[in-house]
Amino acid sequence: MLEIKNIQKSFGESKILKGVDIKIDKGDVVVILGPSGSGKTTLLRCINFLEKADEGLAVFDGIDINLKTASKRQIHSIRQKTAFVFQNYNLFNNKTALENVTEGLIVGRKMPKEEANELGKKALNKVGLSEKYNAYPSELSGGQQQRVGIARAVVIDPDIILFDEPTSALDPELVGEVLTVMKNIAKEGTTMLVVTHEMSFAKDVANRVIFMDEGIVIEEGSPKDIFVHPKEERTRKFLKRVLPEDFTYYI
Amino acid sequence: MSEGLDYKFLIDTFFVALSGVPIALAITIVALMVALPLGFILALSRINRFLVLHRFAQIYVSFVRGTPIIVQIFIVYSSIPLLLDSIVTKYNFEMNVYDVNPIWYAFIVFSFNTTAILIEVFRSALNTVSKGQLEAAQSVGLTNVQAFRRIIIPQTLVVALPNICTVTVNLIKATSLGYALSLQEITLRAKVAANVGYNYVEAYIDIFLVYLILCSLVEYIFKLYEKRLIKYKAVNA
Ligand SMILES: Nc1ncnc2c1ncn2[C@@H]1O[C@H](COP(=O)(O)OP(=O)(O)O)[C@@H](O)[C@H]1O
Ligand SMILES: [Mg+2]
Repeated sequence: MLEIKNIQKSFGESKILKGVDIKIDKGDVVVILGPSGSGKTTLLRCINFLEKADEGLAVFDGIDINLKTASKRQIHSIRQKTAFVFQNYNLFNNKTALENVTEGLIVGRKMPKEEANELGKKALNKVGLSEKYNAYPSELSGGQQQRVGIARAVVIDPDIILFDEPTSALDPELVGEVLTVMKNIAKEGTTMLVVTHEMSFAKDVANRVIFMDEGIVIEEGSPKDIFVHPKEERTRKFLKRVLPEDFTYYI
Repeated sequence: MSEGLDYKFLIDTFFVALSGVPIALAITIVALMVALPLGFILALSRINRFLVLHRFAQIYVSFVRGTPIIVQIFIVYSSIPLLLDSIVTKYNFEMNVYDVNPIWYAFIVFSFNTTAILIEVFRSALNTVSKGQLEAAQSVGLTNVQAFRRIIIPQTLVVALPNICTVTVNLIKATSLGYALSLQEITLRAKVAANVGYNYVEAYIDIFLVYLILCSLVEYIFKLYEKRLIKYKAVNA
């Protein structure tokens, strides 16, 4: 459904992405692992045109879009098909939870307001915020804000949702509620590309895991391949560093 | 002076001073209408490092902020007629450049001046609204213009509003310098009235009162407006 070919990106002198290829099928939950600074955020941002790639191709349902030279229309069409969940939530602070969720529908897609509100409420219910339609972001906990962020992504019914470390800005006790929501939407068949350090999520929810380091894909496979039989030395070293002592892989 | 204040003159002149308010307000409103959008755009250029504009805004701000308004008034008042004169003679327009209403010079000086101040006000306000919100807006399919209109500008305004209020009040007060342009504003009208019988103390008290009332009123209006805008911040505050 989505294929990314040969993404390259430099900031000044330093090359951050050195030719990354990723293929995602409908319904896939793909987790990207990798040490900090390896270019994971940059990769997601290039896919959503928040950053302009120096090189690369996105093939969306068989349609080629050049990531470097895409026109405004093409960028708009990719953004209609993708949604982004940010590490820092990035909610609109001057809008209520419901308005945050419906903004893209009403303004971006010209949907009538009643219809958008209907969908927006459904999305907020799905993430467990049926009591918080009219709350402003400043009135919500971090976990609640990120769930609004997820509802805002889900509501536009995108072909794929990109998650950039959705839980790493949260207090530990709030991580669980967000991961639960993510699991639920994964179960519904949502296609997801997730950068995370939550190994349990990768193990339990992902059907593919990609390990990235220094701007390239080092290794990819099923969670079992990566966690139990990593082929590459770099992958083994990384996992040894990040996996908890008691992490075990059940089939 | 030994006879005390001339109360009749005090009251009459109060209304004379008051009759200068429309001119002071006209200058204030025109300056704000020019400076608010222009200051915002130039502030954006300073943040986005849009190179040419950014340099220009930087130099412009330092020139305007580094010189007294009264000097800026003298420069505009003395140089623009010369400039106009040369244009008029070159193209044979029917126009006497020395008949131009001095309020135009006031519009120019105060617009320039306020723009420079508002660039800085908007720049710091824009910095408080995270770039992430702009990106989030783009990622749900808003165009840049829509994102600015609906997300960024409303928040920037709330942050900038107290400063815009200060700028407006300072601007109203600064219009008293219009007397240097022989503008019939508050200060000049009262002073002219005082020239007849040397009732300067009364005239100055009147001027004082008129500005005080005007500025308090403006501050009050801003406070009301701020309350309306700020509802989403209630919990933060
Ligand atoms: N806008 C930017 N300008 C300059 N350098 C950047 C920018 N964004 C990211 N980088 C650099 O790119 C590298 C990879 O960053 P990132 O993609 O955020 O990695 P990750 O998400 O894997 O931690 C880092 O060294 C970071 O400093
Ligand atoms: Mg990152």
